[in-house]
Parts: sequence; C-alpha cells; structure tokens
Amino acid sequence: MKYALVTGASRGIGRAIAVRLAREGYNIIINYRSNDSEAEAALEEVRQAGSDGCLMRCDVSDREALTQHIEEWQASHPGEYIEVLVNNAGIRKDNLLMWMSHEEWRSVLDINLEGFFAATQAVLKDMLVKKNGRIINIVSLSGLKGMPGQTNYSAAKGAIIAATKALAQEVAKKRVTVNAIAPGFIATDLTGDLDEGELKKLIPTGRFGKPEEVAALAAFLASPDAAYITGEVISINGGLYT
Amino acid sequence: MTREEIIEQIRAVLAEEFEVDIETIQPDAPLMQTLDLDSLDMVDIVVLIERNFGFVVTGQDFVGIKTFEDFYNMIIDRKMAEK
Repeated sequence: MKYALVTGASRGIGRAIAVRLAREGYNIIINYRSNDSEAEAALEEVRQAGSDGCLMRCDVSDREALTQHIEEWQASHPGEYIEVLVNNAGIRKDNLLMWMSHEEWRSVLDINLEGFFAATQAVLKDMLVKKNGRIINIVSLSGLKGMPGQTNYSAAKGAIIAATKALAQEVAKKRVTVNAIAPGFIATDLTGDLDEGELKKLIPTGRFGKPEEVAALAAFLASPDAAYITGEVISINGGLYT
Repeated sequence: MTREEIIEQIRAVLAEEFEVDIETIQPDAPLMQTLDLDSLDMVDIVVLIERNFGFVVTGQDFVGIKTFEDFYNMIIDRKMAEK
C-alpha cells in the first residue's frame, strides 16, 4: 500500500490533491485543523475515487501534537511509511504591515512555515531509509513575487521556497525529491473574499484556476516520472507571473 | 553481553549494512571514511542502532565520534544507561 499525507486536506487545493492522489492509488491521510464535517466529506471523496484513507485532526503549527499523531500512525502501520507528503496547510491574514498585529504575523508564519517544518521532519527519516519519497510544498505566487497586504504570507511562502531548494539538495542522494507548487489565483474558500471579476482581467488566461489543475501537477510531481525534478518551484497561475 | 560481544555485534552489522570487509573495522579506523558515509548516511546508522540495540540516538549523540572506538563507547554507554 502507498500512503500520502496531505496537510490542510479538508477543503480547497488540499482536498483536490487528496482526491487526485487517491485516484493514483494512494491511501490518504487527511490532516485538518478543525472542520470535522468537511474532513469527513473529503474522506468520502477519497473513497469514491477508489482508495481509502483516515483523518488526522491536528493543527500543524503544534509540532508536538503533529509529531505524536504521525508517530501513532507509524506505530499502527509497521513496515509501512508515508511516501508522499504534501505540505498544503496554510492561512492568510492580510493587512498592511503598518497595521499588522503581531498575532497576524505570527499565526501566518506558524501555520505555513512551522507546519512545513513539523510535518516534513516527522516523515523524512522513513523516506531516507526507504530511499524513496516525495515532498510537495504548496506555496504561492505571493512567495515568489511578493504581494502588498500579504507581507506575512509572502514571507512564510518565500521561506518555504528557500527551504524547498535547500532540502532538495540535502536529500537528493536518498532519492527523495522536494518541490514547490506556486499557484496564482485558484477558486477556493481562501480566495472567496477576492474580487474575481476584477482580478481575472489581470490574468492572461482570463480566469481563476481550478483546484483540480493544481492537483494534477501535484500528482505528476508525486509520480515516478518526476524522479529527476527536485528543488523546483513550479508556477501554475494562468500566465499572471512568469 | 560482554563489551567484546557487543563490539563484535556492532562490527558484524556495520560490515553487512555498508558492505565493507569486517577487517577494515578496527578501533582506531575513522568511522565515516571507512564506511564511506556522508552526514546524510547517518540516518542509516541511526536506524541500524534502533533495530539492533533497541534505543534511539540523535545527531547530538554523534558529536565527537571519529573512530570506531568512539562509536563502540557511545553504544555501550547508551546500553548501560538503558539498564
């Protein structure tokens, strides 16, 4: 059995990736923070996609709790390991830096950046020992270009991009690849508060992306065909920023 | 187990895991060079210790370890501490 852990998988891009990886034959560990009903719905979609999975309710910024959950999973699955990790969990708390509270700064860094560290460290050893693994970090156009009003989010995503490049070089010898996907505007809850009508005028393809389009890219990076791609940041933004 | 028995066990598992002649594993020989390891390969040693000796080591445990003698002493000290 092949296992994939997707953080922040109850909704949006994370859920689409979970379902797509289920279609590719992975058993999915659906991590989520608090929305039980959405997580259950995501698990049901995974099952409808022909695979199975389990729920892992845990805030990824709580390193101790996340590590404990993953260790419990490992203990209950002897001989198995998490082959694909998708670090997707993230939040936005937009504000001009001038008005940004320390909580807005700290919480965005905690969930996006600390979550990457905690989840990756918890699964990496098994990947190294098995000499096989895929780490896929969902970052953002904000982390590449920087977006006004998102200094916190841009900083967190930019840091994950740098970490992707560093870690990729650390672990390449053990056949573990580390890549990042940088979506532009994707139609999800996270972008629900944005003015789609105005913003899509800026996008050469004239529309927001779909979560399933991001999921298809993640599935490719998880596949054996992508074994020679590592340390890359791949944009998926309709030509908005190249 | 005696100290000598533990050392022989360590030599045997290292020789098998890293595919080297057991005779190259001598107390004053350098651990990393003899086994042709880089820092990332230490993960294999960590797992090997867990499987064969039943305790968990971290990167901190390897600070100052240069020769096989240093490595034997670390394992034996940890085994004694576990008792």
